[in-house]
Amino acid sequence: MNAPDFYEMFTLPEGVKKVAVHLDAKQPNAAIFEVQKEDHTLGNTLTKLLKDPRVIFAGYRSPHPLEHKILIRVQTSQETNPTKAVRDAISSLLAELHDLRSRFEFDMARATAEQEARESSQMPYAGTDHHHPYVGDTGVDATIDANVDVDF
Amino acid sequence: MAYNAYNPTLESGDQGPQIHIREINDEVLDFVLSNTDLSVANALRRVMIAEVPTIAIDIVQIEKNTSVLADEFLAHRLGLIPLCSSTVDRMKYTRDCNCIQACENCTVELTLDMCCQDDDTMEVTSRNLLSNDPNVVPVLTDDNDPGILIVKLRKGQELKVNCLAKKGVAKEHAKWSPVSAVGFEYDPHNRLRHTQYWVEQDEKEEWPLSHNAPEEPEPKPGEPFDFKAEPNRFYFRVETVGSLRPEEVFLTSISVLQDKLGTMQIKLDDDGGQDEPSDMGYGANDQWENGY
Repeated sequence: MNAPDFYEMFTLPEGVKKVAVHLDAKQPNAAIFEVQKEDHTLGNTLTKLLKDPRVIFAGYRSPHPLEHKILIRVQTSQETNPTKAVRDAISSLLAELHDLRSRFEFDMARATAEQEARESSQMPYAGTDHHHPYVGDTGVDATIDANVDVDF
Repeated sequence: MAYNAYNPTLESGDQGPQIHIREINDEVLDFVLSNTDLSVANALRRVMIAEVPTIAIDIVQIEKNTSVLADEFLAHRLGLIPLCSSTVDRMKYTRDCNCIQACENCTVELTLDMCCQDDDTMEVTSRNLLSNDPNVVPVLTDDNDPGILIVKLRKGQELKVNCLAKKGVAKEHAKWSPVSAVGFEYDPHNRLRHTQYWVEQDEKEEWPLSHNAPEEPEPKPGEPFDFKAEPNRFYFRVETVGSLRPEEVFLTSISVLQDKLGTMQIKLDDDGGQDEPSDMGYGANDQWENGY
């Protein structure tokens, strides 16, 4: 009956900023970033900030489950400021995700090639159990060759 | 020491996240993600479950229903039927669309018109749903798949409905989730002690190791606890419902996360650092301004 509308979870009301920066008057180089329509998915990934040696404090909270926003508090040393620190953390995360995508596509090619080789030769499952996490991944060629040699 | 933003090159050797796919087929993607942070792995898991857009029936107009199921019961069952959603990125969310309730840019129409005239019970399945878009049809695994049972009709019973399928994410309703489950595990030997096992006599006997345990070396008995250790290898198993292929789900989840971070980056560039009147009682600060 008085449940909030679902679109409140996604759409930014007019005149409201996606990210608002509130500076801390009592402490130097500290600020709270109020990010609208985001949740733990974004808030928790920004714990990346903690890896930055110039960051003194970084944390986030979601003030209320019906308010679709998070507050990220960041305090840094004199060398930088919170906005720059957040910006650095985001670029590093974006770079990481960019890498992850290309590596996934690369490994997809390997995994599908292995699978096709397996299917075409009707061999019993002989694929990824060659893989050991602490050894380099050399299973690709070995598997395909082994399957080609056997003539069914 | 100055902080270097992570260097985004593939050739950078050991740096950056590593991924190894253990199994991939039409329904399942099993992979090991390593050399990254728990927060990133968890964000990917969360996005795959709740924020990868798919298409599902959202509005159901019931023209005739003389079946044994109530209208709202049927509407709910229809909503949960997975629809092939590989063309979802060409669709708009209705809330972003110019139309009032439905148009071809944001909606796919499916109809179902069945009437039982035999003495035998008729089974109405997802195969009887007719779509106006050949790309967006109920998911079928193969030609022998009987489809998902919606309702059974007796002689003389009739069902005629008109469904509007919309783009959406599972944050709003779980029917839009592209996955039935995402298996997620790290540290199978519990070296980090993030889990505390409830034990009667012997932990090893009562808690069998997971199938991921052989991926990591077994701890030696009496090994000292490394309180600085952090989780580093994450075992994922993505099981889809058929609306998207598992690799699509994973790749879209990366894009969604990149979008979120990118938007925040842009909005920070727009007005970040500007001293603005705040409603939280924080004012201007000299040292902050010197920082610029």
